[in-house]
Amino acid sequence: MAATKIGDKIRRVDAVQKARGEAKYVCDLTFPDMQYAYMVRSTVPRGKILNISLPEFPEGYDFISAKDIPAKGRNELWMIAKDWRCFADEYVLYVGETIGLVVGPDRGVLKELRSKIKIDYEEQTPAVTIDDGINCVGGPMFPEKNSNVMCELFCEKGRPMEEVFAEADEVFEETITTPYQEHVHLETNSAIADYEDGKFVFYASAQCPFYIRKSIAGLLDVPYDDIIVRQQTTGGAFGGKEHFPDVLCGALLVAENKIRKPIKMVFDREEDTQFSVKRHPSKCVYKSAIKDGRVIGVQGHIYYNCGAYLASSYVVLQRGVFHANGVYTFPNTYLKGEGIGTNTFPTCAFRGFGAPQTLFAIETHLDHIARHLGVDPLEFKMKHLCKKGDETTTNGHIIEEVKLPEMIDVLTKESDYWRKAKEYKPGCGKGIGVAMYNHGGAFTGNGEQAIIKAHSLLVKKGDKVTILVGSTEMGQGFKTALRKICASTLGISIDNVDYPDPDTSKVVDSGPTAASRSTMIVGRLVERAALQMKERWNEGDFSVEVEYEHPEGYPWDQSTFRGDAYLGYGWGAAIIEVEADKLTNEIKTVGIWTSHEIGKAIDELIVHGQINGGVIQSLGYGSMEKLENRKGFFKQKSMSDYVIPTSMDFPKQFYHIQENPYPWGPYGAKGMGELVFNGASAAFVDAVERALDTRFTSIPIPPEDIEEALKNVQ
Amino acid sequence: MEQVKCFMPQTLQEALEIRKEYHATILAGGSDLMVSKSMGAGITPAFTGPVLILTGVKELKGIRKNADGSVSIGALTTSAEISRSELVHPLLIDAASRMGAIALRNSATIGGNIGNASPKGDMPQPLILLDAELVLKSVDGERRMKVDDFILGSKKTALWDDEIITEVILPPQDFTHIFYRKIGMRRANAISKLTLSAAATVKDGVVVDFRASSGAAGPKVARSRAAEELLIGKKLSELPAVKEEFLDAWNGVISPHAMPEYRRNSTRRMLAYFIDALAAGHPAGRVE
Repeated sequence: MAATKIGDKIRRVDAVQKARGEAKYVCDLTFPDMQYAYMVRSTVPRGKILNISLPEFPEGYDFISAKDIPAKGRNELWMIAKDWRCFADEYVLYVGETIGLVVGPDRGVLKELRSKIKIDYEEQTPAVTIDDGINCVGGPMFPEKNSNVMCELFCEKGRPMEEVFAEADEVFEETITTPYQEHVHLETNSAIADYEDGKFVFYASAQCPFYIRKSIAGLLDVPYDDIIVRQQTTGGAFGGKEHFPDVLCGALLVAENKIRKPIKMVFDREEDTQFSVKRHPSKCVYKSAIKDGRVIGVQGHIYYNCGAYLASSYVVLQRGVFHANGVYTFPNTYLKGEGIGTNTFPTCAFRGFGAPQTLFAIETHLDHIARHLGVDPLEFKMKHLCKKGDETTTNGHIIEEVKLPEMIDVLTKESDYWRKAKEYKPGCGKGIGVAMYNHGGAFTGNGEQAIIKAHSLLVKKGDKVTILVGSTEMGQGFKTALRKICASTLGISIDNVDYPDPDTSKVVDSGPTAASRSTMIVGRLVERAALQMKERWNEGDFSVEVEYEHPEGYPWDQSTFRGDAYLGYGWGAAIIEVEADKLTNEIKTVGIWTSHEIGKAIDELIVHGQINGGVIQSLGYGSMEKLENRKGFFKQKSMSDYVIPTSMDFPKQFYHIQENPYPWGPYGAKGMGELVFNGASAAFVDAVERALDTRFTSIPIPPEDIEEALKNVQ
Repeated sequence: MEQVKCFMPQTLQEALEIRKEYHATILAGGSDLMVSKSMGAGITPAFTGPVLILTGVKELKGIRKNADGSVSIGALTTSAEISRSELVHPLLIDAASRMGAIALRNSATIGGNIGNASPKGDMPQPLILLDAELVLKSVDGERRMKVDDFILGSKKTALWDDEIITEVILPPQDFTHIFYRKIGMRRANAISKLTLSAAATVKDGVVVDFRASSGAAGPKVARSRAAEELLIGKKLSELPAVKEEFLDAWNGVISPHAMPEYRRNSTRRMLAYFIDALAAGHPAGRVE
């Protein structure tokens, strides 16, 4: 077999199996004496549980709830914070909160039993929106602070903003909001718990098997090693399976502790839509000082709706704040973020992890300022573009060359931007829009070193090598990418490298599969291990384990949020062209041109797939994906009322990949999975604004919202 | 859980007898019923009484042209088959070919789409404009009824509990101008937010026929012969003068509850556009 080279285009190692329907997902697995579980959930957004009355349960059927957590255990799921209760007890904080499980052998009987469980509540007024939360509607969620603020941070650079505003020619202020978004991973959330050889074993659709173990062990107060998580083929995640599997597995662990039979829980699509984590809605209040046609200062006040539990939201908010200035350098900035608690389903990771909200807001804000000043938005933005060495909003520096000017050159030529931007008069029905964006790779600051300390392990047996890491394939192509990095470093065929789905009892912890860190960090760890292995190749069978090493000289203080927040960013630019149907306000996207700088593409086919998927997902976010919460309930409940784009909605896109090798990544690669989501929505809205000569300060913009905006302009 | 009786007859006669005896729920393509009765993966759907699965009744499939120029469509004919037919009126093809996803169009039937009587159903809208008729059969006989009279409201029809829809008959039409739009939440595989068909026959500069129908516009498809009469008989040059009156009349027909401002305004703009095109002497054919 020929040695695999990094430049080869490789057919995805999991492609055939998945296309043929041969891959086994959690819902395909069966075990002898299999039991099933359904969640019993809160039906009120906020209230006291007064009474739970159960129907008579036939033999072999159980109701599992907080009472089944042993005395030494703690009713908490340890995500990043530990506030998410495994089972709601005494009170509920949101619609869909887990109160219990019904467990037994027949699913029909279980659903009937569940329908007969009666829970009495003393209902309280919920806080639903960010503004509700700010105003403590229904009473503060944290009475000791008299507030609903769950977390906050700020960073500042340059002079005090009052001074900057005072000297400005004009101050431009606006509020931009972004909505919930549902992941709609193809495979819904699912997990099986089993008890095997004295251990609790989980078969889970999940991004982060080690997270699950850490999160749920405290429920029974058992050592991590008593819990084994075996990730199964995972049909998409987008962040929705970063922490949320803990919610399924935690409840299943408590049930398994009592029942000791295999128990399977698979969410239906309607459950997954209504009762799983979402992207954080945001409200971004930007106030910009303008002098001599330039932005000399930006003050941003950023609010994220965290739902009822903090969980991972503080980290999401931090990333939102750190990306709140986009790809620009403004001499003076003050950026403050607040995570607001509400009585809604907790929000969590979703591709972009807090960055897409603020990036949408700053891009749109700058578009509006440019148009107000009568300047082309792209021309205006290019004047403020950041470059290597510039001070960031966290008082660190841009460490790498910023290639956006070259990328914009490619895109403006390919799309004929400059001609179209002039020719398409405001309101003529045609528009072309542009956005630039970035995404900091891996964990913020020194988190890779301070928090994760990732390892990788390679095992050589004969001429075959096995990669044993906790990183997961979830559809993004990582199995192919990692095997390719390993094979090409060793100079062997990718077919001689194996990378099984991780089993926490067999692999080393390479950290979560999140934060666009897998290729950049774990890929590098595998490359380093492979380099060592190559030198010793003729020593027979052996293994090599390496640990993450942080580059020297890039300080970060996590207590003050000062320093180099990210060592390497992915950079992107998107140009979108649209035509508006003036009869119906339907928008047809007629052109998509994107360029992404990701250091180096480990595999162009995979990267192309990610670009297509991420850009279209972003366009869905900006145009049609509407998820509203009314009085604590999601209004959209299924895939027929929560719509995501199909291949009919957007045209084929021109894509360009800009090389700019990253010194600490494998073969120069940086992260890219989230970057590609971060900007197309803003370019789309810009294009629609130009086509219809109107202004939007929120997304999505389905035809009825466009009608509303046009009415307001008139 | 209780088991329900499930019948799969092979002939129409058998099916009619079962329907008479058990008043069984009729299941054709199943694309509506299997969703509404679903209890989730691995659980038997929650039908509460006997079910009559018509899939095996071949007599009810296919499209044919009748001697009088009308076209008969068997009730079990799928949307996919209709969308590929050269016998069927283009407005019905428009509706059939934009229904749901490909897999759904391969199973959903015209009889089911009418019998389900969803306000958002795609095919009743052009059928009502086309004055289509239904053949309703029972062991005891046969009735014929216009689709417009058959659908009484949301999920309500005039079907008797011993009857089966067997056929849809499209009378011959010779419109010179047609217009169709479906606005969904996306371009494909979407439930209708709003649909509109309009058709006109212009002869020697006079509008001799004019029709319109709005789908997803209320409990049932909206059509107003009174409004249409305002335009029929008018010269093209007179259209601008009566246009607003027509649009106001149409606006009065569509349900205020189902038609928030956007849908109402879009309907008005589309109808105005179609009338303007006629007035401007648009060549015969489809107005895009």
